[in-house]
Amino acid sequence: MVNKLSTIFSKSGLRQILMFASLFLLFTFFSIASPNFLTYENVVAILLATCVNGLLALGVTFVIITGGIDLSIGTVMTISSVMSGVFISFWKLPVFIGVLGGILTGTLAGFINGFVISKMKLPPFIATLGMMMIAKGLALVISGCKPIYFMDAPIFNKIAMGSIIGKIIPGIGEFPNAILWFILFIIIANILLNRTALGRYTFAIGSNEDAARLSGLNVDKWKIIIYSLCGTFVGIAGVIMASRLNSAQPALGQGYELDAIAAVVIGGTSLRGGEGSIIGTVIGALIMSTLTNGLRILSVPQEWQIVVSGIIVIGAVYLDMMRRSREI
Amino acid sequence: MENINKSFPGVQALKNAYFELKRGEVHALVGENGAGKSTLMKILVGAYRKDSGRIVYKGKEVDIPNPRVAQEMGISMVFQELNLMPHLTVAQNIFIGREPKKKNIPIFLDDDEINKRTKELLDMLHLKVDPKVKVSELTVGKQQMVEIAKALSFNSEVIIFDEPTAALSEAETEELFSIIRKLKSQGIGIIYISHRLEELKQIADRVTVMRDGQYIGTENIENVTIDKIISMMVGREIYETLREKEVEEGAEIVLAVRNLRRGKILKNINFELRKGEILGFAGLIGAGRTELARAIFGADPINSGEIYVKSKKVNIKNPWDAIKHGIGYLSEDRKRYGLMPNLDVKTNIILPSMSEFLKALGFVDDKKAEKVSNEYVQRLKIRTPSIRQKVMNLSGGNQQKVVVAKWLLRNCDILIFDEPTRGIDVGAKNEIYKLINELIKEGKSIIMISSELPEILRMSHRIAVMCEGRITGILNSEEATEEKILKYATMYEDQKEVLI
Amino acid sequence: MKRFLIVSLMFIFLIGLSITSAQRPYIAMVSKGFQHQFWQAVKSGAEKAAKDLGVTITFEGPESEAMVDKQIEMLQAALAKKPAALCIAALDSKAVIPYLEKARQMGIPVIGFDSGVDSDIPVTTVATDNIKAAGHAADKMAEFIGRIGEVALVVHDQTSRTGIDRRDGFVNRIKQKYPLIKIVDIQYGGGDHLKSTDLTKAIIQAHPRLKGIFGANEGSAIGVINAVREMNKVGKIVVIGYDSGKLQIEAIKSGLMKGAITQNPVGMGYMAVEAAVKAIKGEKLPKFIDSGFYWYDKTNIDDPKIRECLYE
Repeated sequence: MVNKLSTIFSKSGLRQILMFASLFLLFTFFSIASPNFLTYENVVAILLATCVNGLLALGVTFVIITGGIDLSIGTVMTISSVMSGVFISFWKLPVFIGVLGGILTGTLAGFINGFVISKMKLPPFIATLGMMMIAKGLALVISGCKPIYFMDAPIFNKIAMGSIIGKIIPGIGEFPNAILWFILFIIIANILLNRTALGRYTFAIGSNEDAARLSGLNVDKWKIIIYSLCGTFVGIAGVIMASRLNSAQPALGQGYELDAIAAVVIGGTSLRGGEGSIIGTVIGALIMSTLTNGLRILSVPQEWQIVVSGIIVIGAVYLDMMRRSREI
Repeated sequence: MENINKSFPGVQALKNAYFELKRGEVHALVGENGAGKSTLMKILVGAYRKDSGRIVYKGKEVDIPNPRVAQEMGISMVFQELNLMPHLTVAQNIFIGREPKKKNIPIFLDDDEINKRTKELLDMLHLKVDPKVKVSELTVGKQQMVEIAKALSFNSEVIIFDEPTAALSEAETEELFSIIRKLKSQGIGIIYISHRLEELKQIADRVTVMRDGQYIGTENIENVTIDKIISMMVGREIYETLREKEVEEGAEIVLAVRNLRRGKILKNINFELRKGEILGFAGLIGAGRTELARAIFGADPINSGEIYVKSKKVNIKNPWDAIKHGIGYLSEDRKRYGLMPNLDVKTNIILPSMSEFLKALGFVDDKKAEKVSNEYVQRLKIRTPSIRQKVMNLSGGNQQKVVVAKWLLRNCDILIFDEPTRGIDVGAKNEIYKLINELIKEGKSIIMISSELPEILRMSHRIAVMCEGRITGILNSEEATEEKILKYATMYEDQKEVLI
Repeated sequence: MKRFLIVSLMFIFLIGLSITSAQRPYIAMVSKGFQHQFWQAVKSGAEKAAKDLGVTITFEGPESEAMVDKQIEMLQAALAKKPAALCIAALDSKAVIPYLEKARQMGIPVIGFDSGVDSDIPVTTVATDNIKAAGHAADKMAEFIGRIGEVALVVHDQTSRTGIDRRDGFVNRIKQKYPLIKIVDIQYGGGDHLKSTDLTKAIIQAHPRLKGIFGANEGSAIGVINAVREMNKVGKIVVIGYDSGKLQIEAIKSGLMKGAITQNPVGMGYMAVEAAVKAIKGEKLPKFIDSGFYWYDKTNIDDPKIRECLYE
C-alpha cells in the first residue's frame, strides 16, 4: 500500500502537487499558530523576501539540471550590485545603463564559468568556487570595502520597492515591484526551460552528456550558454537586491548560494541532473522563506530556526533520494 | 578507410587499419575484444579523430571532425552502449539537435511535430512504443530498437550497427534483420559488428576480420566457414608453456562451486579448483568472469548456490567471510579496489591483518609491521626504495606484488587474480608469472581471469570458458587452442550450434 | 511522507513554545550580528534584564554584519508580531528608517543600541560613549608616558560614528589636559590588520622619539601590536588598545600592550531592555544612555566583571 502510494507520487506532475500541498500546509500551520502570520503585509513580506533568493535559484536551476553546479552565484550577485553602483553613483550614468551594466556583469561571470568548465575541462565545483572567491575580492576592491549608495538616483530604488500595483489598485497598500519582476522572470525561465531548444538541451546534457555529444550536440557551446544564462539571472538578482536596499553592500553575498541551491533541491531538481522544473524551484524558495518568516513570527530562538531549516533540507533531499531509488 | 592510425595514451588502438563498404551491401566487421572494431567505426562517425590515414566517401576524400558532420554526410551509428538520454522521451531523443520549430513562434520547439514524425517512424518499424514515453521506462530491448529508429531517421546512406542484437529477443532480432534487408534493397550500406558469428551467415554479404588493431582480411560470406573466421581472428601461433609445476595426482579439491546463480549475470556455475592448480578463466568482456570472482569473494550477493572450501560448505556473505576462509581477490582495477595509493607499502600490506599488529589501546606495533613487510618485500622481490614509499609511486608490476603480499600475509591459500597483467609492461609481466609459479609451488591455488589468450594458454593447467554468465566449457591445457576458447566464448544460448 | 511527520512534530513543538510566552510583555531586539561573542554578551545582558523585569524578549541578528537585507527581514517579522517595544542596532541607518516609521505609527517605542540611527524616532539610544571612553584612554596614555612626549593614533575610519568619536575623544582630551603631549600623526587603516600594521610601521619610522600609540578598535590595535613587535620597540612604545579579542588579551598579558578600553556589551544589553520597559510604561528617557566602558590591564584582566565583557 505504501509502495503503491509512493509509485503514484513518483510521477513528476503529482510530485509538484505534493510540493504545493507542503507549502499550503506550512501556511496553514503558521496561520493557526499565530494570528500575526496571515496578514496582507506579512504575506507580501514573505514574497518580497523570496525574490532575490528566488532569482538566484531560477538561474542555478538550469545549471543543476545539466548536472553541474554554480557556487559563485552569491558573490557574483554582489559584484553585480556593486557594478550598478559604480555605473550609477560613481560614473553618474543613467539608471538604465547601470541596470544593464549590473546584469551584464553577471552574464560575463557566467560566461567565464561556462568557458572554464567546458573548454578547460575544470569540474564545475572547482571552477565556480574560484569564481566565487574572485568575485568576492573584486567586489571589495572595486567598492573600497564600503557600501555604495544610490541617493542621487531615486528611480533606482523604485525598481524594486516602488509599488505599481499600489497605484493601479487603490487602497491595496504596498506591493513592491520586485515581486512583479520575479513573476516575470519565472515566466521567462519556464518558457526557456520547457519550450525552447535551450531547455531541451539542458535536460539532454544532464541526462547523458556523452549521448548528447554523440547525437551531434555542440555540448561545449550549450554549456557556455547555460552558465551565461545563470549569470544573467544572478545579475538581475544583484540589481534587485541593490535597488531594495538602495545600496550595494560589497561584503554581503557569500552564503546566499547555499540558500538558492537548497531551494532548487527542495523543489525536486536532482543534483545529478536530467530532471527539474521551474515551478518546483519557485515552490522550494517559497517554502524556505515561509519557514524562516513563520519561525520568526513564532519567536523561535534564532539558533533553533537554523536547525529546523537544516532538517527540512535534509528531509527533502532524503525523500528525493528514496523516490529516485524506487524508480530504478 | 585506408591506413587509419589511432593511438590512445599507452596503446596503439589502430595500425594501418583498412575497411571498405559497397553500396547496398551488409558488411560484417569482426574481431576479438580490443581488436579495434569499435574504435575504427567511432572514427568514421566522428566520435574520435584519426591520427593519420584517409577516408574516402562517395569518391571524395573527407574529414570527419565531429558527430554532427558525420550525421550531415549521411553516416550514422547504433552504438553498443546505449546512447540515449534517459530523462527525455522517445521522440525527444530521436530528434535531439534537429528539432523543428513552431511556425508562428520560431523560438519554441514543436513537440507535436516530433511526436507525429516519431509515430510514423515507429510504425514503419512495427514498434509498439509511445513516442511520449520517457526512455528510462522502456526495457533494454525496446531502448535498443529506439536507437535503431533514431539511426534510421537520418536518411543515412551508411548505417553502422555495433552489437545490435545483444539486448534483443528473438522476435526483435528477426524484426531487425528484415529492416536491414529492406535498407539493403534501398541501396544503403550497412556495417554490422557482432560477436555472434552464426548471425552473420543469415544477414551479411561480406566479412572483414581485424586483429590487434590491424586489418587481417575480407571474405565473401558464402565462401567462408565460422572456423575459418575464428582462425583469422586469433591467428595461428603455438605457445610454450610457462607453468613450472603440474598438479599432483589426486590433489585435494580446495574450492568447489555448485549451482551458483545470480539473476541473469551468473547462471548455474559449477567448477572445482585443485590444490596447486592454476585455473584460467577466459571469455569475452561481459561474460561474467569478474562477476563470478566477486560473487565467490562475497563482494556481490548471490541468489543461490553453494561454495565449499576444502570440502567444507561455507557461507560467504561479505569479503571478510571470504578472507576468513582463505580466499583473496586481486581485482581488475587494483588502483581502485586493491590498494590505497596514497599510503605506503607497509600500511597496504598489513591492512587486512591489522588486528595482529595492534598493541593495547589500539596502537599499531610499528616495529612488527616493518619487520613483516620487509620480509614480504624480500620474498616477492618487490622493487621499492623503502617500505615507507607511497604505493602509487611504484610501477604497475610492483603494485600488483604488494597486493599479493597483502593476501599472503592473511594466509590466503586461494587467490583470484583478475587481469593480473593488465597495464603492465612485458618485463614486469614475466615477474608476475614467476610469482604465480612460486605460489603454486608453495601449494597455493590460483584462479586467473585474463583476456589475453596467450597468457591463459601458457599459464593455466585448465581453462574454464564463460559466455553470458555460463561456463560453456572446461579445457585441459593440452587440448586447448585459441580457436577452441573463442568458440566456447561465443557459444550464445539462443543460437543453434553450427560447428563445421 | 517522512518529511511531513518531521515537520508536523516541529510545529507542535513550536506552537507549544509560542503559547507559553503569550502572557508577559514582549520586546523584540534586532541586533547587528548574532554569532560574534560581542553580541552574545549583549544577548546575555538582555536576557538577564528580561528575567529581572518580567518581560520576554527575542534576540536576533544576521550571520554577518553585511547582511543588511536579512536584518530588514528580521525587523519586518519583529514588527508583525506587534511587540510592546523594539530595540534595534541598525546596520544601515537609511535602510531601517521606513520600518521605524511604521513602528512609530503602530505606537511601538523604539530603542536604539550600540549605534544610533539618523532619525529622531528612537526614544533613546543605549551605547558606549566613545568620546568619554577614548578620553579615558588618553588619560591612561598620559599617565604611562609621564604627561610629556609624542603620541600617534591608528583609527579604523573617519566616516563612521565610532571612528570619529574615538579619535576626537582621544585627541580633544589630550589637547585639553595635556599640553605637553604632541599628537604627531593620525592614520586610518580600515580596521584591517595588515594595513594597520604597515602604516603603524611607517609612523614609527617617521617619528623615532614616539612614546605611545593608541589603536582605536580591535583591528587597528592588532596592527599596532604587530608593528611594535616587528620593529623591536616592545617596552619602548606604550600601546593602548580598544575592545578585546584574543590577540589583544595576549598582548596585555605579555606586557606588549599596556592596557585597553573595553565596551560593556553585557551592560548594554541589560540597559537596553531596561530602557524599553521604562518606555513601555510611558516614562520619559534621556536621549542617550551610556552603557559604560572599562579600562583593563594586567592587574584586573582576571576580574570576573571584566572577564564578562571580554571575548576571544
